[in-house]
Amino acid sequence: MNADLLLFWIPAAVAVVSTFLVVTRKNASHALVYLVVSLLSVAVIFFVLGAPFAAALEVVIYAGAIVVLFLFVVMMLNLGRSSVLRESRWLQPGMWIGPGILVVVLFLSMVYVLAGSVHETKGVMVGPDAVGRSLFGPYLLAVELAGFLLLAALVGAYHLGRRYLEERRETPAGSGDD
Amino acid sequence: MAIAVPIEYVLGVAMLLFLLGLLGVLVRRNVMFLLMSLEVMMNAAGLAFIAAGARWGVPDGQIMFMFILALAAAEVAVALGLVLQISRRFGTLDIDAANELSG
Amino acid sequence: MQDLLWLIPALPLLGFLVLFATEGRLPDKMVGVIGAGSVGLAALVALVVGLDFHQSGQPSYAQNLWTWMAVGGFAPAVTLYLDDLSLVMTGVITGVGFLIHVFATGYMWQDLDEPSSRDAAPKARKEGYSRFFAYMNLFVFAMLMLVLGDNLLTLFLGWEGVGLCSYLLIGFYHRDAANGYAARKAFVVTRVGDTLMALGLFLLFREIGTLEIQSALAKAGELDAGMATAIGLLLLGGAVGKSAQVPLQTWLPDAMAGPTPVSALIHAATMVTAGVYLIARMKGIYALSETAQLAVAVVGLATLFISSFTALAQTDIKRILAYSTMSQIGYMFMALGVGAWSAAIFHLMTHAFFKALLFLASGSVILALHHEQDIFKMGGLWRKLPVPFYSMLIGSGALVALPWVTSGFFSKDAILLTAYGHGEYGWLFWLGGVAAATMTALYTTRMMVVAFFGETKIEPHDRSRINMWGPLAVLSALSVFGGYLGIGILDDLLGAVDHIPHSHPAAIATMLLPLLGILVGVFVFSGRLDIRALVDSSLGDALRRFWHSGWAFDWVYDHAFVKPFVWAARVNKADAVDFVYRAVAAVTRGFYHIGALTQTGRLRWYAANMTIGLILMFLIVLEML
Repeated sequence: MNADLLLFWIPAAVAVVSTFLVVTRKNASHALVYLVVSLLSVAVIFFVLGAPFAAALEVVIYAGAIVVLFLFVVMMLNLGRSSVLRESRWLQPGMWIGPGILVVVLFLSMVYVLAGSVHETKGVMVGPDAVGRSLFGPYLLAVELAGFLLLAALVGAYHLGRRYLEERRETPAGSGDD
Repeated sequence: MAIAVPIEYVLGVAMLLFLLGLLGVLVRRNVMFLLMSLEVMMNAAGLAFIAAGARWGVPDGQIMFMFILALAAAEVAVALGLVLQISRRFGTLDIDAANELSG
Repeated sequence: MQDLLWLIPALPLLGFLVLFATEGRLPDKMVGVIGAGSVGLAALVALVVGLDFHQSGQPSYAQNLWTWMAVGGFAPAVTLYLDDLSLVMTGVITGVGFLIHVFATGYMWQDLDEPSSRDAAPKARKEGYSRFFAYMNLFVFAMLMLVLGDNLLTLFLGWEGVGLCSYLLIGFYHRDAANGYAARKAFVVTRVGDTLMALGLFLLFREIGTLEIQSALAKAGELDAGMATAIGLLLLGGAVGKSAQVPLQTWLPDAMAGPTPVSALIHAATMVTAGVYLIARMKGIYALSETAQLAVAVVGLATLFISSFTALAQTDIKRILAYSTMSQIGYMFMALGVGAWSAAIFHLMTHAFFKALLFLASGSVILALHHEQDIFKMGGLWRKLPVPFYSMLIGSGALVALPWVTSGFFSKDAILLTAYGHGEYGWLFWLGGVAAATMTALYTTRMMVVAFFGETKIEPHDRSRINMWGPLAVLSALSVFGGYLGIGILDDLLGAVDHIPHSHPAAIATMLLPLLGILVGVFVFSGRLDIRALVDSSLGDALRRFWHSGWAFDWVYDHAFVKPFVWAARVNKADAVDFVYRAVAAVTRGFYHIGALTQTGRLRWYAANMTIGLILMFLIVLEML
């Protein structure tokens, strides 16, 4: 095995393990921290594959902005010790069996597809320059559409969140959870 | 810095991450964990795109990843607003409680 | 000037659209001006176009308006076609129609003012006035399309249009359920005929491949005899329904439920003669088939015979006139059947004059008596209502065909004398016609004597003004001099009638027998000749009731069709056909319940199902399944 490939395998292993921990944690804050780890290791994989701009975005937007949004909500919902207890009540070991079988079957069929062939990537860096030229060239229309999507999400999030806050203000006693 | 990696390995890792996210969606009842699992799944899809782009050494994979990023940001913004509403309306974060659409 | 032809139907249509769109918001005076004026202008245009057409000396003039539709090789055009036949019809429709419209401006005004009128509320009154003229204008438009269309499709459009207007106007006083019933009866009974006619048109189109009248007639020679007979009989079926001939005549007496001007225009002068027009128009088909032509004559003879006896037993003045209309149209059918085409159209024209006159005059009487229609409750009116009386007298004279002084004489004479000379059995038709003419004289005399002489029973209130007696005067003049008009113009237009000379014994009998009928009638109904014993005998009474019921046709139809149909409808209340649709609905609902089971509203359940679907897709793609 090529020693260079360790640069790929190590972040890959970290990503898989931390993702597994995200899915299995009972405390939301812990899970979020593992999610950050998972995202960062995926960013490393991006870099290794020759996509430095995507790696930077992964760190800045995913691990930065999106996870911080999650954290805000966790804080607003005041998820404390009781929620951890409730999670262990909800997560009976037997619940893992059915979904586990489905996932394993999917994994096996995927392995069956991928097994046997080897196509190496080019191993070249595709920098922000090339990405930008492409993004505002042939993909300009899609960028516009993405802009519409974000605007719609902005309006939707504002609408949903404002009503929540107003209702909370009217009934200060209600914490919304537990 | 970039190295040549067999694309099958990258796709395998992406698959693994995707399936872990799917497992989370199927098992967890808490909406917060559900959304995190969804993020994991989208991230895995992004990884597959990056791998495909790297296979040919073109920027298109990264561009697709950026669109996924925009989608994820939009989704999270709306979904977290919904989480607040769910917790407000049902007094719980149990996704099974929000089953008013049953036929 | 001939290219103004399109204006003739367009003007009444415009009048209809204006009255229809304003929904009675216009002042009553303006409604009258629009309603009668549009038809009057159409009459004027018809006169100009007719004179121009006559001078041009061409046999026909066609004005193509637009192509209706173009499907494959079938492209019926909306074309107006003017020839002698349609010119006469157009003149009658617009001319007589205009006079009736003018009369109606006065009649409906008073009629809707009547306290007894069912539309007495001021708003309803106003609306009714406008609605009446809207329907009348629509009728004139449809009737003109019927006679001017060069295509059987256009003709059928007008045919159904006049049927619709007839329905709307019979049921004009729609607050009385009986009128609605009469309107429905007229609609349904004529529908039987219309269905036959539609079948005839389909057959004609299948055999000849065109519905354009002139080219269809030109190609009619290609038809084999059986097919020509079938088409002729089917078209006759349509004509019988529209023209109230035996056996589809039962709707006409009930149609008298409409306002009297409607009876005059639709159920005497124009619409009911559409059948005559149809057969005259398609005479090329009938010339090919002895059987079909004989059937036309037999239908006419049967109708005029049956209805003239029926009229003798009626007491309602409008019903008497309705039955006399049927019998006069019977003459026209008989004329068509014996090949006297121009005599039939001649009689159509004179009949339009004198029957419109009779109806309008009776309308004046009815109005003056506050809707009393029973002649036995009238009496002694001749001094009190001079204008209606003299009008009725002139109209009756024309109806019984007083020799030489009335228009009816010329046309009826032409029919009967042609029938006499027609073939081996022509004298039979002549005999039946003369017998019926004698009966006509008898019942007309009865109507006049009973209603206008003797002692006064109800005090009349005549409020008619010039717009009512003016049309009566014009129609009276036409009823008298229309015969000379016919001799002078019609022979020129339609070709002279070829019949036995007036010096023939049969011709003299034809002239004298109606006079005998009048004589007998005067003696019997003024009481100078007492036949009470004869009438009151059991046979006489039975006969009277039989005739009064219109030879029991209504009873037979009621038992043969209406009652079984109602019975079947009651038995099949749940509707066996609906069962299939209900079953479809039930199965669908069952699937819905099954499908709804999957809609648990649980997100993770949906996600799991998506995963299973994903696995299955994988297996299919990998060809493992």
